[in-house]
Amino acid sequence: MFLSRAEGFALALPAALFTFLVFLVPVGILLSAAFQSETGAWSLQAYLDFFSQPLNQSVFFRTLKLGVLVAGTSAVIGYAAAFCIVNLPATSRGRIFGLVVLPLMISPVARTYAWIVILGRTGIVNDVIVGLGLSELPIRLLFTETAVFIGLLQLFLPLMIISLVSAMENIPRDVVPAARVLGASWFQVFFRVILPLTKEGLVIGGTLVFTGALTAYITPAILGGSKVLMLETLLYQKVNVSNDFASASVIAMILIVMCFSANLVLKRIATARR
Amino acid sequence: MTKTISILALGAVLTATGAAAQDKLTISVYSFAQDAYKQALYDPFEEICGCELVIETGNSVERMAKIEANAANPVIDMAVISSHDALSLAQKGVLQPLDTSRLKSFDKLYPAAQDPIGDSMAVGYTFYASSIVYREDLVSIESWNDLLGEKLAGNVSLPNITGTQGPLTLMMLNKAEGGTPDDFSNTIAEIGKHADDIVTFYSRSSELAQLMNQEEVIAAPVGRFAWSRFKSSPLPFAWADPKEGQAGGMNVMIMTANNGNEDLAYKLMDYWLSTEVQTRIAEALIDSPANMEVKVSDEIAENLTYGAELINSLNILDPAVIIANRDAWVEQWNNEVIR
Amino acid sequence: MSRITVWLILGATLTFLIGPFLIVILAGASAGESLSFPPQGLSLKWYAKVFTVESFRASFALSMFLAVFGTLAALLIGVPAAYALNRYKLPGAETIRTIVAAPIIVPGIIVGLALLRYFVVPLDVTITLALFVTHTALVLPYAVRVVSSSLNNLRADMEEAAVILGCTRFQAFSKVVFPNIRGGILAAFILGFVTSFNEVPASLFLSGPGVRTLPIDMLSYMEITFDPSVAALSALMAFMSIAIVFAAERLLGFSRYV
Repeated sequence: MFLSRAEGFALALPAALFTFLVFLVPVGILLSAAFQSETGAWSLQAYLDFFSQPLNQSVFFRTLKLGVLVAGTSAVIGYAAAFCIVNLPATSRGRIFGLVVLPLMISPVARTYAWIVILGRTGIVNDVIVGLGLSELPIRLLFTETAVFIGLLQLFLPLMIISLVSAMENIPRDVVPAARVLGASWFQVFFRVILPLTKEGLVIGGTLVFTGALTAYITPAILGGSKVLMLETLLYQKVNVSNDFASASVIAMILIVMCFSANLVLKRIATARR
Repeated sequence: MTKTISILALGAVLTATGAAAQDKLTISVYSFAQDAYKQALYDPFEEICGCELVIETGNSVERMAKIEANAANPVIDMAVISSHDALSLAQKGVLQPLDTSRLKSFDKLYPAAQDPIGDSMAVGYTFYASSIVYREDLVSIESWNDLLGEKLAGNVSLPNITGTQGPLTLMMLNKAEGGTPDDFSNTIAEIGKHADDIVTFYSRSSELAQLMNQEEVIAAPVGRFAWSRFKSSPLPFAWADPKEGQAGGMNVMIMTANNGNEDLAYKLMDYWLSTEVQTRIAEALIDSPANMEVKVSDEIAENLTYGAELINSLNILDPAVIIANRDAWVEQWNNEVIR
Repeated sequence: MSRITVWLILGATLTFLIGPFLIVILAGASAGESLSFPPQGLSLKWYAKVFTVESFRASFALSMFLAVFGTLAALLIGVPAAYALNRYKLPGAETIRTIVAAPIIVPGIIVGLALLRYFVVPLDVTITLALFVTHTALVLPYAVRVVSSSLNNLRADMEEAAVILGCTRFQAFSKVVFPNIRGGILAAFILGFVTSFNEVPASLFLSGPGVRTLPIDMLSYMEITFDPSVAALSALMAFMSIAIVFAAERLLGFSRYV
């Protein structure tokens, strides 16, 4: 290479400086505010206060629970769908894959909005339930954890499928038939062959879905309302209803820690049994 | 090429937002009936003053929080909010006292609306009754206690505690149970026991109107200002007259301190309180008049909170009581109702 | 697995992913006054109403401005950065990469709150500028990543040859490198455009009276009325995004770069 370092830095620094100054500095100040007491001394008091409230505890656990459930469910559906997609003939594979990616281009507002119509008391799901005689009266689905779960799953499932499809494409074509010929059951094929070979895709997909579910605002806001609060909607309330910026900083820190630890834990699991 | 264009465009947008700042009045209002308000108030006012109205909408408490957060450099010039949120802002020194000599219709206001929170910090522009709206084909409502009864379990919504209607509902439930006035702790505990029967705690009347039109909810307490949304629905909605009576309240106009746009703000307040506009707004069935000169037909009056007799019959919750207790109510509510 | 099982699984998955969107399109085409499915008669009146709502026009203009110029600004600083990270052996290149990628990792709602409190308020910056800066920062990681991957496919000795043959460094970039990564840059632009146009959480706190992006405006419109026009607008927005991506795919083979 005959290029000078100074030139390289001159080209790369604007982007780095820009992100650092207008992005990392404000976010850093916000997060550090969560470690300061009102007098400015360093303290963990804000966290103790936050977790001493039963409401905050239950919102924290609900967020964690829904994140895990959504990631887990999307992994199960994702494996089934990805396996089917990979084994399609080339032409239809491209088309189906396109349809899976399509929802990602659609605004999450639009995608969540649809569920109000579907899950409402006069919506399609209830029409079917009552029509089939499963329940005499329409059941309540909106403003429940189930509604939020369905909304989040629909929002983030494509990310899991995409990650798993690209992981499975790297499995040599004959491996699965070979295992079957040698007498492995589908159960064994999955746990002995497919899972070990697609771990990385699962980790990437799992992280994307989990952090996505943790940090989605619209879905819990529209489908959960004031009864099914999650950390994001709680943060919004702290800021916009009670001007409680101390709690808001604490929630921000918790969310970031949850996202990063999810990433670390999943990476650890992926590399554990190599 | 793209670089030049983008810099030019950015510059244009930034200067455009700066230049338009002269004849602009920024107001903060409730989010219901905006189409009707545009016809009855905003459009005619813009024509008269030759200025532009910028309108922020939301419920009272959210807009109050924003006004407080921006107090050093007010974004909002004039706002209409609930009387207790106005009192709370006044106590924080975010408002300026009103020079009522600049409001030509001031003397025509009901006495209760002239200085509702003291020190001329606000004037009332509308009264409203607050009761229960319900589906008369499915249930009947005789008492506020019916809200927590068996018949409505799983089909009822209550206003959120942080909103304006929340404390009013607590007051009426407390009265129905025969509790000590202004001590709502037993009432909140009771709501907590029934939390699973309540579909959701709504925070805007427009949200409730939607839920009820979608048949998600069949009964809920709400302010009379939202009635037109129910009346125009194809579903059979009725307004309850519970044996404990109706609750009531007043919404007020306030002026933020040091906003530098006082002249326009007074112009709008004056216009809004005038007999002409108050009549127009009443006839559109949005807000009931605070101006005593407003005369409407019996049919219109029936849909409003109209006339001294009705206004005097309402159960009113003192704004000072709300402010003194709100934090405690919210804490108990969070721990026992929402969990 | 049999063919039937395969198509059952795919059919169910795709119905779950795409069905709701079809319902939104139809709910927007209802002749009735409130949101419902199946629609009460068909009509395009709500699609027409979308274009008459003043606040939608203003917020659409703002969202377009942010999506176009925010992405262009991100490319303006992102392309040189991608080039430098790819072609120069910089000490601290990893740090630069991490800094530039940070906006993807931090939850959007925190970004919006942080910028509101520690950028807009203390520096007395307008909301429009704050939104512009935020959207640029959010799109920048995609710009750097996509352009980097197309630079990876381009051998560095081509520019060296150009320089040896008498080009200046800048000419070597504009005549040799740029034409070869144009597709990547366009792909980055489209990805950035769609990301910025649909962005919600970071823009949630960055709104003032009369200044808000289209998705945020839709949310607040839904607070006022729930008429089917929001469904119609949702459908229109989605069509726009899909049309752009499809055109790009046709013209460029967009998916190679993502």
